[in-house]
Amino acid sequence: MIHTFDPTSPPIDDAALAALIQPTKLHRSVYIDEQIFELEMARIWGQAWIFIGHESQVKNHGDFYTTHINHRVPVILVRDRSGAVHVLHNRCAHKGAKLVDTVDGNARAFRCCYHGWTFNTDGTLLKIPNEAGYEGTGFDPKDPQNNLQKVRSASYRGFVFATLSDTIVELNEWLGGAAEVFDNLCDRAPEGEVEVAGGVLRYQHDCNWKLFLENLNDTMHPMVTHQSVVQAAEDYIATLPPEASSQRAEAEIIPPFGASYENFEDSGITGFAYGHHYDGGKTSIHANYSVNPDYWAAMVASYGEQRSREILAFNTHNTLYYPSLTIKSAVQNIRVVRPIAVDKCIIETWSFRLKGAPDEMLQRTLLYSRLINSSASMVGPDDLEAYSRIQDGLQSTGSDWVEMHRHYNRDKQLADRTVGGGTSDLDMRTQYQAWQAYMGKLAHHIPTGGDSDE
Amino acid sequence: MSDSVDLRAIEHFLYDEANLLDNPDLDRWIELYSEDGSYWMPVIPNQPDPLNHVSIFYDDRVMMEVRRRNFVHPRAASKDHSVRASHIIGNVRCSGRNQQGDLVVTSNFQCVLYYRREQRLYAGTYLHHLIATDNSFKIRHKKVQLINCDAPHKSLTIYL
Ligand code: FES
Ligand SMILES: [Fe+2]
Repeated sequence: MIHTFDPTSPPIDDAALAALIQPTKLHRSVYIDEQIFELEMARIWGQAWIFIGHESQVKNHGDFYTTHINHRVPVILVRDRSGAVHVLHNRCAHKGAKLVDTVDGNARAFRCCYHGWTFNTDGTLLKIPNEAGYEGTGFDPKDPQNNLQKVRSASYRGFVFATLSDTIVELNEWLGGAAEVFDNLCDRAPEGEVEVAGGVLRYQHDCNWKLFLENLNDTMHPMVTHQSVVQAAEDYIATLPPEASSQRAEAEIIPPFGASYENFEDSGITGFAYGHHYDGGKTSIHANYSVNPDYWAAMVASYGEQRSREILAFNTHNTLYYPSLTIKSAVQNIRVVRPIAVDKCIIETWSFRLKGAPDEMLQRTLLYSRLINSSASMVGPDDLEAYSRIQDGLQSTGSDWVEMHRHYNRDKQLADRTVGGGTSDLDMRTQYQAWQAYMGKLAHHIPTGGDSDE
Repeated sequence: MSDSVDLRAIEHFLYDEANLLDNPDLDRWIELYSEDGSYWMPVIPNQPDPLNHVSIFYDDRVMMEVRRRNFVHPRAASKDHSVRASHIIGNVRCSGRNQQGDLVVTSNFQCVLYYRREQRLYAGTYLHHLIATDNSFKIRHKKVQLINCDAPHKSLTIYL
């Protein structure tokens, strides 16, 4: 029997869970059922590598940044005295008070607000006030249980991930072939490194977290959802006299968001194991941005002309590292998913500076983040309107199914990836194969995406 | 405050501007801005500038022109829900003129906004740079500093 949203229904078993995902359709309860949401937090967000932050957010000893791994577990990203970066559980070893309750800052040591237990920046216990009271009680201050507990973490080119699982494969293997987009993002810096710059936007989404992910490579929506802003920009451009070239250049940022079906079809979608995927590669809606001459000169000085051309020619649109992180390497920004409840999540937009590139490159990235990803932009709110309407519409009992047939049976299986046309539902099928494997607790074996059932 | 500034006239101008946002009429609202006018809503307190740090809004005339057309476009799904707002402005002060010769006016505001079946409250300070014209003013720059600028925000489809 398939589980439907009903607070009196019995706990969902594994067979019922598996039946929610069919090769070309999904049961609506994956978006609206609170019990399934809690299972996702334990089995997907509790097993996968989750993006925590970037090493450049904690440059110096004692710099910290706090966030959550899933909707509950609070963690601290911190750089210790030796320069090592840790992800620590944000929980006092004494009675459990959250140790740090500010978003970021610098601390020589973490001192608990309740009874003053103090911890080094690597999490080890430094001091307990009036410790004599523990003598002869069997309490051992050297017991590692009295340290701040470490979360298993690893980083790839400065991007720090953590996992609550002891058994998931190492980060490099988990990223697999999809790591090439991280490489491309960093290689776009003349110095081969990026750093967080220009602040963060936090956008509250009243929808299930998966609706945001499914939109990333949904290339069938822009010409519909963003039709109004594209026409508004084109109408305005049509009023401009020939000499208004700077106004025209500025307004022309917008029309690519309503690019044609053909344009998106050519860009292709590529799926990987563990639910990762991207659209674009040879081309994307970002392919025709003009290259800043000073930036080009810095790139050529670092890499030579041919390699620079190769780096800038690899043009992906959105890349998903399922389930928490999506990057736009060609624009140098990322969006981070923080689930809150079955119908609520926060989407954070962070921008990156290409080290060694002129300041205008960061300004361009920030302009893009603001115009497209701000809660007050003319693009994001129309996307969110659609997700919110799905969240509401799926309460209907008219049908239990959400479909994902596009290009089914046309995907091509390669060694480490599956490739398909740009308007394929390959991205959704990739995500839900990973969903099914994580939810069945088979995190050690998560297949490449695509239409094979394995 | 130097050369006799008519604070009453400034206050009335701010009320008229707010009125065009209460029952949004962006076509007339934009006319209050100079050709080089800009509208800025920073995302952190004390944000030094709008170019090297991201913002919630930073529109020049170009983006205002696109926005006013988009705002009434029948295919903008997020605009299917109308916006109604009620602004209250107080503590209006003029601290003189900046280097460009514009009047520098600060005020406090509260805006109750109804959108998508829900009522919200925004509060903060306005900073206006005003150009005095023959019988009124033009806005060269408006900065909206929300007290909760760095909190997560829901969709905002209208200027505050
Ligand atoms: S709870 Fe932290 S010192 Fe007691
Ligand atoms: Fe979109």
